[in-house]
Amino acid sequence: MFQIYLPVAEISVNLTVMLGLGAAVGFLSGMFGVGGGFLLTPLLMLMGIPPAIAVATGANQIVGTSVSGTLAQWRRGNVDVQMGAVLIAGGVVGALIGVFLLKYLRELGQAGLIISLAYVCFLGTIGALMLWESVRAIARARAGKGGSARKANQHNWIHGLPLKMRFPRSRLYISAIPPLVIGVLVGLLASFLGVGGGFIMVPAMIYLLRMPTNIVIGTSIFQIIFVTAIVTLLHATLNHTLDIVLALVLVIGGVVGGQFGVRAGQKFRGEQLRAMLALMVLGVALRILFDLVVRPSDLYSIVPLVGM
Amino acid sequence: MRAALLPVALSGLLLFSPLAAAQTAPPPPAEKPISQETVQSDISTREIAIQSNFTGIEILIFGSIDFSDSRTPGEGTYDVITVVRGPDEPVVVRKKERVAGIWINGPGKTYGTVPGFYAVLSSRPLRAITSDATLKELGIGLSDLDFGRYTKGDPQEQAYRSAMIRLKENSKLFQQVDNGVTFIGRSLFRATVALPVNVPVGRYTADVYLFRDGVVASKSQGSLEVTKAGIEALAYSLAFKHPFLYGLLGVVLAVLMGLAGWYAFRRDRAS
Repeated sequence: MFQIYLPVAEISVNLTVMLGLGAAVGFLSGMFGVGGGFLLTPLLMLMGIPPAIAVATGANQIVGTSVSGTLAQWRRGNVDVQMGAVLIAGGVVGALIGVFLLKYLRELGQAGLIISLAYVCFLGTIGALMLWESVRAIARARAGKGGSARKANQHNWIHGLPLKMRFPRSRLYISAIPPLVIGVLVGLLASFLGVGGGFIMVPAMIYLLRMPTNIVIGTSIFQIIFVTAIVTLLHATLNHTLDIVLALVLVIGGVVGGQFGVRAGQKFRGEQLRAMLALMVLGVALRILFDLVVRPSDLYSIVPLVGM
Repeated sequence: MRAALLPVALSGLLLFSPLAAAQTAPPPPAEKPISQETVQSDISTREIAIQSNFTGIEILIFGSIDFSDSRTPGEGTYDVITVVRGPDEPVVVRKKERVAGIWINGPGKTYGTVPGFYAVLSSRPLRAITSDATLKELGIGLSDLDFGRYTKGDPQEQAYRSAMIRLKENSKLFQQVDNGVTFIGRSLFRATVALPVNVPVGRYTADVYLFRDGVVASKSQGSLEVTKAGIEALAYSLAFKHPFLYGLLGVVLAVLMGLAGWYAFRRDRAS
């Protein structure tokens, strides 16, 4: 088949496989409305791309695939630019922390391990919670009760914090600290794991900030573009781990796959989609865990010395 | 080998079949004439460009033994060893250990000067050609390479060293091929070296040693250059020389792709 040489990863990969991988992940992300980075980065690692390169390149791919989603959301007026700006400000701080952390771990030779462990913890927790929630929702729908009772405008501890800001688009008047903290966390995840962080951000904005759901989705994807772009720049500049050829191939696959995914997603009910996504997330977590626990076929490994 | 066996089959004309002597009889103990043989060699490709379709390449090292100064080739054992060596680089070797049920990398051992590529091809097994001392002196053979770290007596040392050699051999970056040098007739020889896809870029040396009765009679040296070319070269040099621009390019290209995709599919829907 058609092989393509990756200049920074310095390996040759099958172009068709990589396009297919980008398309498959793009399809799923379009279908479920998630970034797909949490699938893409581990899959790249499983295919033999060095972890640090998989992370940086995964982040770059998310930039491309988030653009069309953001445009669609923007046209519907679902982007709260002010909230986005606060999230991005936090995201820059988180991204810096993550990039330096990754650089340090690479020098220690533990980057792969910590990335894998972080994936297992995050995906395991999120997947289990989502599965639990969606199964209950499906059960409720079966029982015919239906209708979620979200208590709107209920005050919580968030409202006691200082530095209050007005977010007209979301019709909120809250402290800037919680979105900043969420931003930092998402930036950290993006730079360390090569994920968009939507799976953390969306529930946090809905349940903690009590933003309207449609605005949450638009704002989250809007800020993901900026944070992943910053992460890409930082990794390229400080760690030299971005492979532009691989990123381009993945973006092309992802953009095309994403469009079909959106259409496929409209055929399923929300809770069914969430249950499927949860199973997939758990599957990825188990697969990574398996690699950590099972005795490797070769105990030794060699890498070129980095961080000279 | 083939060149050596043929004369044996023909007759017992040992005089004109020095290589046959190599295979069949021990070298004559009689006094040897001063070796005046010279070896000449060249490489089929002196410039290797890594482009997007690069999947590895085979190079041919060929040459001849020139007996011109002696009226007849001297009696004795002639052997050729070819060493292709890529640029040195520091390498960290790590061993995984089980900690709390998870396999994690232990502390690494750093070797300062590991050739990025090393292939040794010979007309017969190395140990049959010459003594260990000579091989060590010339640094020929995987077991005699100096990797810039040698702590004698450390029981772990040998395990790490051989693990690195094994891993490099698995990825075809280290090769040791006995009988990798083939004779054509009496004085022509050829050796094919396969450079794998992951060869490091840089300047390679290709040394050809002619051994006569276990002693180096002549040596010929060549070199080749492995470089990245085309888009690969551009991307690679940008990535390391202008990393910020490179990152920016990555982001811009991704955004453009996203826009193009969005535009294309939007038009689809409209029509």
